[in-house]
Amino acid sequence: MDSEHIIQLEHVTKKFPVGDGRHFTALKDINLTFDKAEFAGLVGPSGSGKTTLLNIIGSLDSPTEGKAMVLGKNIAELSHKESAHLRNIHIGFIFQVYNLLPVYTVFENVEFALLLQNIGESERKKAAMEALEWVGLQDLADKKPDKISGGEGQRVAIARAIVKRPSIMLADEPTANLDAKNAHQIMKILKGLNKELDTTFLFSTHDEKVMQYLDRTISLRDGKVEKDKTTNESNKLS
Amino acid sequence: MIRFLLKGILRDKSRSLLPIIVVSLGVALTVFYSGFLEGVMGDIIRQNARFETGHVKVITKAYGKNKDQLPIDLALLDVNSLVQSLENQFSDMDWVKRIRFGGLIDVPDENGETKGQRPATGLALELFSEQSKEAERLDIQNALVSGSIPDESGEALVSYEFADKMDVQIGDEITYFGSTMYGSMALTNFTVSGTIRFGIAAMDQGALIVDISDAQKMLDMQDGSTEILGFLSSGVYDNEVATNVMENFNAKYADSSDEFASVMVRLRDQNNLAGMLDYVDLASGLFIGIFVLAMSVVLWNTGLIAGLRRYKEFGIRLALGEAKGEIYRSMIYEAVLIGVIGSVFGTAIGLGLTYYMQTVGLDIGQFLDNAGVMMPITMRAKITPSLFYIGFIPGLLAMVFGNMLAGFGIYKRETATLFKELEV
Ligand SMILES: Nc1ncnc2c1ncn2[C@@H]1O[C@H](COP(=O)(O)OP(=O)(O)OP(=O)(O)O)[C@@H](O)[C@H]1O
Ligand SMILES: [Mg+2]
Repeated sequence: MDSEHIIQLEHVTKKFPVGDGRHFTALKDINLTFDKAEFAGLVGPSGSGKTTLLNIIGSLDSPTEGKAMVLGKNIAELSHKESAHLRNIHIGFIFQVYNLLPVYTVFENVEFALLLQNIGESERKKAAMEALEWVGLQDLADKKPDKISGGEGQRVAIARAIVKRPSIMLADEPTANLDAKNAHQIMKILKGLNKELDTTFLFSTHDEKVMQYLDRTISLRDGKVEKDKTTNESNKLS
Repeated sequence: MIRFLLKGILRDKSRSLLPIIVVSLGVALTVFYSGFLEGVMGDIIRQNARFETGHVKVITKAYGKNKDQLPIDLALLDVNSLVQSLENQFSDMDWVKRIRFGGLIDVPDENGETKGQRPATGLALELFSEQSKEAERLDIQNALVSGSIPDESGEALVSYEFADKMDVQIGDEITYFGSTMYGSMALTNFTVSGTIRFGIAAMDQGALIVDISDAQKMLDMQDGSTEILGFLSSGVYDNEVATNVMENFNAKYADSSDEFASVMVRLRDQNNLAGMLDYVDLASGLFIGIFVLAMSVVLWNTGLIAGLRRYKEFGIRLALGEAKGEIYRSMIYEAVLIGVIGSVFGTAIGLGLTYYMQTVGLDIGQFLDNAGVMMPITMRAKITPSLFYIGFIPGLLAMVFGNMLAGFGIYKRETATLFKELEV
């Protein structure tokens, strides 16, 4: 096995039980690898298996067959604790709905990710503020999530995901709830972080606006890889 | 982390307010109930000890069998030497002689004709002796409505109620009619030196209190008394110590078939106090148990509802890298925090109520008109050290238990299923 790959999927199949002993196969024999600093996306119609694949890579779920290696760890073999640890340290999630904890301030939401890593207070505060600066929201630090806009909320979610400097960022339709202007702003921020921190990004999206930023586009259909295309080679090299 | 959780609890009122109110209420009730029970039962036991049972009591076997009739013919004799030997054997205890007797009290008018007559229960105490603590023990000084404690032979205290009904004034003569220890007629005049009200139904109806030397003379009971009471040096009834003393004493007379042999009984075995003593322990245990259960059910439900509302939060935290076990554990921490906050409030409220009932009390005099029981007329709660922590038991248990049940659904499910259900 080539351990250079940050993510390596071999014959990954995911079946969901649908009652009566029958199964629905959401992913069929997926073979993909992702490397450090990639900026890739999964596209495809609804139900094609994008979220299922992201959840497996994020160790929130495991494959029924095949092998999913993430940062050298076999997802299927991780205990609850180990998979939580993997997410905690190495994986950042961004969701369609910018899920912030409503009782905590913007700053505390970002800080929370580091709290889970038992990082000391002064270092935590410094890193959280820095992450907010990356997304340009240092001025909103003390606001509660219900007092900021949707675009700002998604930027806070990005700051929270990136503050721990994960190796992998998984973004499931991050722009679906945003207008064009905010969507572009978010994508520019993410692309910038990708360059600056060498983080591997993996999106799931329907959104043309997202696709135009991707360096690699993987089309899924009925749980299978239909196309795997390096799109923005020039962009990536620049 | 705890600080973070605490922040969350305090900011999200809808998450914390209801459980805190439920816990506070339950804890307040528990504290108050315990305080009330301790106060009332403690008073009853203390009063019984002071007025009737002592912590232990020596009588004759025969007297014990017929004690309701106040059978002075079955009294102890040679009591001075008996007291002496008790004092030698149990030197840290206080031993006192008392005589209980029944009879009639006749109140004459200025011509010496009978103005009225009433049955009375008499109590003879060591009032004159210098080292006797009896007046203090019965708190006679405070119970005096008028006049003073007898300090010479021929003086008596009568209950205020009696004096009021019979129109007896301080300094008036009254006559006691009864029989002596040997069955002949006893007739003695006393001068009323004071009137008393103890606030105890059994003592306040028709009581005559005289010094023991006067009673011995009047009842022809040379060196005799109906009972010898022993009081532990701590002043508080301790069943273990009392049992020990009793067993030691009784061992000497174990195989005596003599009817008039002396026997010791402890407080627990008199006036049905065993039931009461056991009831105190049982009732508080039961009460706390019931509260833990009832509150757990309520808190389980509030926990479930709060949990549903927080599914999104749990999903975020799963994604951020908390294992579901950790999330479950943090829910329990939160429950402990809320339990502590609620218990602190509840204990404060409970102590407030208890303090009120300790100072003001509840007058139950009208229900005790004919009661022969040794019951205080005013029921009072009592603040004891245990009240400061006892409420934390149901408060914490119920909160933690309720939330463990509520969170169990989360704990049991697969992370992936959970995550999907959370609809992140
Ligand atoms: N737990 C499950 N049990 C049964 N079927 C499931 C389960 N999770 C997903 N599926 C099915 O698997 C298929 C793939 O779902 P998935 O969520 O990965 O699609 P998606 O590509 O993310 O779609 P969308 O673009 O709508 O988000 C769908 O048909 C879905 O109904
Ligand atoms: Mg999806």
